[in-house]
Amino acid sequence: MGIIKVRNATFSYGRENVFENIDLEINAGEVFCLFGPNGCGKSTLILCMLGVLPLSNGQISLGGRNVRGMKPSEVAKVAAYIPQSHEKPFPYKAIDIVLMGRTAHTATFSPPSPADRKIADEALEKVGIAEFRDRPYTQLSGGETQLVLVARALAQQTPILIMDEPTAHLDFRNELNFLETIVKLVKQSGLTIIMATHFPNHAFYFEGIGVNSSLALMNNRNIAVKGNPFEVLTEENMENVFNIKSKIISYTWKDETLRQIVPLETS
Amino acid sequence: MIALLVAGPVLIILVSLFIGRYPLSVSEVFTTLGFRMGLVQADIPATHLNVVWDVRLPRAILGAMVGASLAVSGASFQGMFRNPLVSANILGVTSGAGFGAALAIIMFDGQTFFIYLFAFAFGLLAVILSYLIGTTYKATPTVMLVLGGVVVSSIFSALISLLKYIADPFDQLPSIVFWLMGSLASARFTDIVIAAIPMLIGVIGLLLMRWRLNVLSLGDIEARALGLNVLIAKSLAIFFATLATAGAVCVSGVIGWVGLVIPHIGRMLVGNNNEALIPVTISLGAGYLVIVDNIARTLTGSEIPLGILTSLIGGPFFIYLIRRTKARGW
Repeated sequence: MGIIKVRNATFSYGRENVFENIDLEINAGEVFCLFGPNGCGKSTLILCMLGVLPLSNGQISLGGRNVRGMKPSEVAKVAAYIPQSHEKPFPYKAIDIVLMGRTAHTATFSPPSPADRKIADEALEKVGIAEFRDRPYTQLSGGETQLVLVARALAQQTPILIMDEPTAHLDFRNELNFLETIVKLVKQSGLTIIMATHFPNHAFYFEGIGVNSSLALMNNRNIAVKGNPFEVLTEENMENVFNIKSKIISYTWKDETLRQIVPLETS
Repeated sequence: MIALLVAGPVLIILVSLFIGRYPLSVSEVFTTLGFRMGLVQADIPATHLNVVWDVRLPRAILGAMVGASLAVSGASFQGMFRNPLVSANILGVTSGAGFGAALAIIMFDGQTFFIYLFAFAFGLLAVILSYLIGTTYKATPTVMLVLGGVVVSSIFSALISLLKYIADPFDQLPSIVFWLMGSLASARFTDIVIAAIPMLIGVIGLLLMRWRLNVLSLGDIEARALGLNVLIAKSLAIFFATLATAGAVCVSGVIGWVGLVIPHIGRMLVGNNNEALIPVTISLGAGYLVIVDNIARTLTGSEIPLGILTSLIGGPFFIYLIRRTKARGW
């Protein structure tokens, strides 16, 4: 059962198509990684899923409804968005940012209710960053900021989280910490996660840790291969889709066989 | 907190009833007020009634409303445009209003009613033009809006110069110049009632949607993904801020710096969350302009135009503020 269905989707800013004829189905409760190079249209596809950008052709259904006919507040009750980079316009406190996750639940001329504020506090708690609550978030590191944005997404209380390269600006440890947080959330609350990423090993990480995961390789305006990480991330596919010679290595840790893909050379 | 925000400006308005070239004692002022409100029976000299009720009180109330309007519009635009350096004039409302006032001074011999009407109408027109220039297909990108504002401001400034050039140099030209310097000297209760409507709608509107301004400050894409209808929210905020500013400018002329300095004092005091910032800005703006107007009308034998003072005080004070906070407030 697809919680997000993309049918024959095409998007163009002008004459040139950013992507064309894309078909995808993302199941509830899985982590879906969208892997592809810079500029392949991942971010655009994500914004189309959120109804921020309109498709030129085809349709996307979000939680069973055509996203095109949904109001911004309706979309925001189904899917939350974590951007790749977040410009910090003012030194708001972390809690102020998280509280903005309640926008879709408040009326134009009223502030968030005490219940909304409680939900925001619980979201901070869930992500494990309650100690940042009253800190100006301009003073937080990249990794900490990203966690604040995860808390904001949780405060939206949506079944779907859509993330655009959330680890792009994170260091080695923070990246792992971020992935662990996501895994914890998926296992706790059965969220569906869509994650655009540069790193194919993210998909292996989710698979290895026992989370339902699938993966699509996106290149040249289209989805080349999709399926579970084991089927999709093969040496042949890396060669065919991205012209990369690579090696899959496997190793055992805590009685599980884990995989990583190692790029060797471009061809 | 709320009590303090209301009490501050009210107290400043009361104090300003005692300030002026005609000396009045505490009991004289209060019996005059009480008499006018029907609370006390007393024999009040006509001069006292005139000075307190017809001159000082309306002027102080108007000053408070104008200060609050300019300050809150500035704060709202700063949030919306994600830039702490924009003021209420970012979309050209002041230049448009100035042109309208100058036009009325020339066309209608400076009748007050027409000056208000034209200033207000052209202030709105300027913002509508900036908005239309800045609106592309179903969106209003911030850069385009600012660009629209710059262009429209510059065109109306040129038109003001043109009107000054053709105005009668003995009669109309001085009126235009004085209007552009800004003043509350003409304030009467009848004026307050007319100008209060747009100012109150604007200020209350922004006050009510202040939390939405936080969300808008995150930028169009994030605000939209959080569930905000960005086009409607932005248009509403611009509408309220423009009503407030145009209402203020049409009775007071051009009074600069209030919309820049006051929100920054607010940011220093309570931070950048508009939930707290907007009410504080309204209160500070109201108090500040009444104080500056008291200085303007008592510092020298004849009045100093208010706009000159707000710039003379506001400019250096702003430098002091940003040097003290090292621009860390934003």
